Amino acid sequence: MSERSHTAPKPEGEYFESSRFTGLSSILGLTAIVALALCVVGAFLNPHQFSYSWLFAFAFFFTLCAGCFFWTIVHHATDSDWSVVVRRQLENIGVLLVVLAILFVPILLLRRHLYSWMDIPPGVEHSLDAKRAYLNWSFFLIRAVVFLGFFLCAALVLRRLSVNQDKDGNPRFTILMRKVAFISLPMFALCLTFGAFDWLMSLNYHWFSTMFGVYIFAGAAGSSMSLLVLVITALRRAGYLNGVITLEHYHIMGKWMLAFTIFWAYIGFGQYMLIWYANIPEETQFFITRNTESWWALSTLLVVGRFFISFPILLMQSVKKEPRRLCMVAGWIVCMQMLDMYIIVLPALHGTGVHVSVWDLLSLIAIGATLGFVYLRIVPRTSLFPVRDPRLIESLNLVN
Amino acid sequence: MMRTPAGHKVYAMAAEYPSAAALYEAAKHVRDAGFKRWDVYSPFPIHGMDDAMGLGKSWLSGWVLFGGVTGLLTAALVEFGPSSILYQLDVHGKPWNFWTVPAFFPIMFELTVLFGAFAAFFSMLGMNGLPRWYHPMFNWERFIRVSNDGFFLAIESRDPRFTENGVRELLERSGGEHITIVHED
Repeated sequence: MSERSHTAPKPEGEYFESSRFTGLSSILGLTAIVALALCVVGAFLNPHQFSYSWLFAFAFFFTLCAGCFFWTIVHHATDSDWSVVVRRQLENIGVLLVVLAILFVPILLLRRHLYSWMDIPPGVEHSLDAKRAYLNWSFFLIRAVVFLGFFLCAALVLRRLSVNQDKDGNPRFTILMRKVAFISLPMFALCLTFGAFDWLMSLNYHWFSTMFGVYIFAGAAGSSMSLLVLVITALRRAGYLNGVITLEHYHIMGKWMLAFTIFWAYIGFGQYMLIWYANIPEETQFFITRNTESWWALSTLLVVGRFFISFPILLMQSVKKEPRRLCMVAGWIVCMQMLDMYIIVLPALHGTGVHVSVWDLLSLIAIGATLGFVYLRIVPRTSLFPVRDPRLIESLNLVN
Repeated sequence: MMRTPAGHKVYAMAAEYPSAAALYEAAKHVRDAGFKRWDVYSPFPIHGMDDAMGLGKSWLSGWVLFGGVTGLLTAALVEFGPSSILYQLDVHGKPWNFWTVPAFFPIMFELTVLFGAFAAFFSMLGMNGLPRWYHPMFNWERFIRVSNDGFFLAIESRDPRFTENGVRELLERSGGEHITIVHED
């Protein structure tokens, strides 16, 4: 049985009182400043290691935010009703892509440490020369601008339209957002896929996998849904959204986490098995590095943790309908996403075994604290849920 | 077994309701009166009806899990049996011990899904008592409207709380119309 809200939500919406959280906000702000300053030191002290650490942290947070953006456009494109009450938080996390676009700049500056193909002159490597039409610096830069530009424009436009609808509830905004979402869906697929090719796959220019973009997407969608569960629960703990988001919404979010746990495993295994079975040297090297030496332990942990542990737990209805338990699984999945990005990025540098560096941690803290700080600035500006969405009532009375 | 004066077996006492909302409210009445053997009939699914009827969780999922695990074990048996034990085959120099398991995953996955789907389908039929050639409710000529615009509720005579007068009164109080006894055959 679901907990039913007996009090109707206030028509003016619920507002996050930032004055209650000035302490948290200033801690995050201070941490961000200190960590970013230390990262600048790292970039000069040990640019090689630092560039990989930064890319790892960037990829982790980028997939989380891009995933939330994905759920926003899916919500509009499918005209779904359940997600209306959680949509504002998806939009808030989605616009953090603006911050991430700025934090992408160090990757461009440190590109020569990350992407060896940028340094190799033409005529040296035939396999690289065959890819020059795609793998060259100016095209790389143009693509990065297009991808990030698309993400931040679409995220900003969708949030702006949604916030405008809070004022008068004009259904015109719903239709406009749906149109933006229709254009954004194919654009999202292309930008995420080729972004993954450019920023992660080209770390080793010999290697290629046509499934890599889908693999990154599968991890992003599942982990961002988990992040949403964590954010919603944190807001409920702070006393917000309690009459708005019910266990029925948790149940649906849990189902999506389960679905994308399966999808991640399906895509990840599909990618692995085809490469393993075909046994072509330029394809297998990616997995040989990651399945040997001490990387083997982390790869095993990823497969077991992301799928074999999460899957049976998420099968249970009692977990999906209980916020505390679902949060534990959600936190675990977010950690596994972090591990996933670590295993994709760092073996490109430390091919002989795991070598944890202090810059890995500092980059994570720097980007995480920055995003957390900006998030706490964005949340109080609008109601915590879209108060005049035409489908709000349906979402409040959700039964599934 | 209750019988009518004419000697027919009694299947249920049934009533018709003017709308889905009325049927929904009536279901809550009957649920709160403590009946277990009863059902509602409508032309389309009504959201929240399972709560209004007080239905618990369906354990169809248990059978699906059983089917899925059976499928997984079947796949493991038919793959490891021949390829690792009965006739070990060297393909591309790949191992034939346990570590060749990635090559077997697709079949394991497919059979898990296939057996799970079979279990879901056949358990659904079984738990609903299907296939069934004829339902006693069709002995009531008004019931033909159930696939068009009729909303019906029937309390079956095998329910331990079933008494003709008590049930009739309950159905009347819940807003039922055309209350009648439905014959078993």
